Amino acid sequence: MDPVVLSQTIVSGLLLGGIFALVAVGLTLIFGVMKILNFAHGDFLMLGMYFAFLGSVMLGIDPYLSAILSLPVFFGIGWIIQSYLIRPVLKAPEHIQILLTVGLSLFLQNLALFLFSPDFQSLRVGYGGATMSLLGVSISYVRLVAGLIAVAASLGLYLLLGRTDIGKALRACAEEKLGSMAVGIDVDRMYKIAFGLGIACVALAGVLMTPFFYIAPQVGLSFTLTAFVVVVLGGLGSLPGALVGGLIVGLMESLGEIFLPSPSMKQMATFTIFLLILLFRPQGLFGGRRG
Amino acid sequence: MMRLGIPALLLFLLLLPGFADSAIVAAILPGGLSGSALLSVFVLIFLFGYLAQSWNILGGFAGQLSLGHAAFFGIGAYTSTLLFVEFGISPWIGMVAGMATAGAFGLAVGFLSFHYRLAGPFFTLATIAFAELTRLAALHLKFTGGSMGILIPLQGDSLWLVQFTDKAPYYYISLAMLVAVTALVWWIARSRFGYYLHAIRQDEDAAEAVGIDTRRCKLVAAAVSAGLTGAGGTFYAQYTQYIVPNDILTVGLSVEIILRAIIGGSTTVFGPVVGSFILTPVAEMTRVLLPGAGSGATVVQLFASDAGLVEKLTGYFAFLSSGGGGGGALMLYGLILIFTCLVMPSGAIPWLRARMRR
Amino acid sequence: MTRHLLEAKRVTKRFGGLTAVGGVDFHVDEKEIVGLIGPNGAGKTTFFQVISGFCAPDQGSVKFKGVDVVGLKPHKISRMGMSRTFQIVRPFAEMSVLDNVMIGAFGIHRKTKDARRAAMDALELVGFAAWAERRAGDLPVAGRKRLEVAKAMAGAPALILLDEVMAGLTPTEQNAMIGTVRAIRDSGVTVIVIEHVMHVIMSLCDRIYVLHHGELICEGAPEKIVRDPQVVQAYLGEGFAP
Repeated sequence: MDPVVLSQTIVSGLLLGGIFALVAVGLTLIFGVMKILNFAHGDFLMLGMYFAFLGSVMLGIDPYLSAILSLPVFFGIGWIIQSYLIRPVLKAPEHIQILLTVGLSLFLQNLALFLFSPDFQSLRVGYGGATMSLLGVSISYVRLVAGLIAVAASLGLYLLLGRTDIGKALRACAEEKLGSMAVGIDVDRMYKIAFGLGIACVALAGVLMTPFFYIAPQVGLSFTLTAFVVVVLGGLGSLPGALVGGLIVGLMESLGEIFLPSPSMKQMATFTIFLLILLFRPQGLFGGRRG
Repeated sequence: MMRLGIPALLLFLLLLPGFADSAIVAAILPGGLSGSALLSVFVLIFLFGYLAQSWNILGGFAGQLSLGHAAFFGIGAYTSTLLFVEFGISPWIGMVAGMATAGAFGLAVGFLSFHYRLAGPFFTLATIAFAELTRLAALHLKFTGGSMGILIPLQGDSLWLVQFTDKAPYYYISLAMLVAVTALVWWIARSRFGYYLHAIRQDEDAAEAVGIDTRRCKLVAAAVSAGLTGAGGTFYAQYTQYIVPNDILTVGLSVEIILRAIIGGSTTVFGPVVGSFILTPVAEMTRVLLPGAGSGATVVQLFASDAGLVEKLTGYFAFLSSGGGGGGALMLYGLILIFTCLVMPSGAIPWLRARMRR
Repeated sequence: MTRHLLEAKRVTKRFGGLTAVGGVDFHVDEKEIVGLIGPNGAGKTTFFQVISGFCAPDQGSVKFKGVDVVGLKPHKISRMGMSRTFQIVRPFAEMSVLDNVMIGAFGIHRKTKDARRAAMDALELVGFAAWAERRAGDLPVAGRKRLEVAKAMAGAPALILLDEVMAGLTPTEQNAMIGTVRAIRDSGVTVIVIEHVMHVIMSLCDRIYVLHHGELICEGAPEKIVRDPQVVQAYLGEGFAP
């Protein structure tokens, strides 16, 4: 095994893992605060991608500028969706909550299909092909930036939860809803904020990927599934778990590509590990609730 | 009301193939649809109704939301197809084999999940993982034909080999399957087993406390549900004569199966049937009216062009009104599912019943 | 001497360092109504858990109809003819009252027809037949308690354990429930009741066992119990002993 190839694989795995982490952080935040497993999560990543794509094609906006713009836009979208779709089913039986987000996923995927057709699109930027060399390993700039920003955003969210007042309020709502209400926290508003943040994260991940990943309506599903794997691996509701889990899964898929007989078998490895965790250690690496 | 309606409906359905090609029908159908196309819509209604009924035993009655039933569908399809293509075994026997294999997998998935106490969303996630593993396995294994799938060689009309050039025999077989499974579900609902499943769905702990062996009941439900779904897979294989993993083993298919049961009413006997009669025509109608064959190049061209804003908008609107890039039917499904969850979470039949009581 | 319907000897159950039930001897003969009383935390419900099979004792034996039942699963003991109600009543909310009781009847009847008949009989016995078609989730507390009793009776038990069926009922409702318990005994079923409400225990029970901190401190007819100094002390505290 050529050490350069190995290092290459590890690096790209970690960078991709950073993206997974950002996606999973959003999912785990939503679950942690309001106990909803968002089956439509990956589809917001897809929407983020199309947001960047349209910005580029119609207005010539650079994807990294779109990344900044996407934050308030998707936070708002998340807010609205929580208010009108999620809030009504918070007290409904679990299977209804699941089905609602499944319905949302079905709608969003096919909305994108309807608006943009199933053809793969890609966002070409001048610097898309540029690479840099670090200790003999060749890294694509856009992947590096994407991975770093993703990890930074995840850490930022973690700090937000830990250090700010809003963060404390969110954590309070996650742990003890009635108690939070009793001390005057507007739990309803906190839920909207949490959902908004979660969606903003995953959409940002989508935007960051546009310089190097294909854009298509069906892209969401595989990211939703990967996000579930990461979140269960890291522990539902745990942000550090999502971050670490994301890096692990990214690394695993990357290594799987070169070690398994067929590169596309890496997904099978991911799902097998997923099943094993669900069966034997459902609380994941960082403990937390059993759901 | 239902008591009169059902025999009448059955009679109508039994006679339909007879006059599918007649002038009356041609006059009613939207432009372009032939009698044969009408029959194929009904075959889909019957098949999805059948699949939804099968799913509902585990998902609706027992309350275990599986989003992985496409795996059982696919396992049934591959079992019978491989037996036919490799050994020339009749698909009828293949169907039984498919049912047994799918049922065994259902039992295995159920056993693991229930033994390790997976409930609610965890169970759902496990079923998705299992179904995805099955799809990926089918894509990679040589004997399943990989991503190209398996093509069933046509040998002319034969009841024994379940191959027909005309749609009518498929129509009758799928109708018979739907009637049979509905009768089975009707019987289950009235039996001790059915009562136990309803109790388990509502409050599993209380059911245990009342002396119900909940694990055993759930396992039986899983095995029966999976096995029946497998038989549907066999039928589908013989109907389309070509099976491919990314058609029949996808999460999307699992979702389509449960949609019918959820929207019709997953705690009722006729919910899945009603759901199928509502949803399938909606999808087919949408596909006819909004063919949606637009390409991505068109979209990009429209967006990137130097034309004025108004021109762009009218051009894009024209693109959308012919169905855009497709997906119109499924978009509607998504909206209907969301609507159902928000407004009538128990499904159409219970909702209607509640309204009629007032 | 004929054997007792239920006989428990030196039953002991510990949870970690706490002895919930310590060396209790207990017996019930056919057609008796026996009461089990004691202050909160005395170990009464734990004792019920042990004899009905939901909990295995650390020591001691339990014989029902002469058969050793320690280690048997609850639904097996239920099939042998011992039914119970639960303190926290959980009916199947979406189903009707009748359907709920049928779930109890299915314990011994395989066919739906037979179960339905047994369920209706049970509902009539507890005086709840008029409510058969009502949705169980809509019932008020008194109704749920009655449903719970009917569900336990639907299995045609020889012995029924009633765990605080009077809790949450108004005095009128309590009197009605007393009538129901008597009707149950008159139909040939033996009854053990856990209760806090004194006047209920006094008027209903043939014999009473008193538990305190898991130990049996007195046993006998109601008049004897009420005068026993240890019982009074347990309930009212030290300064009240006569």
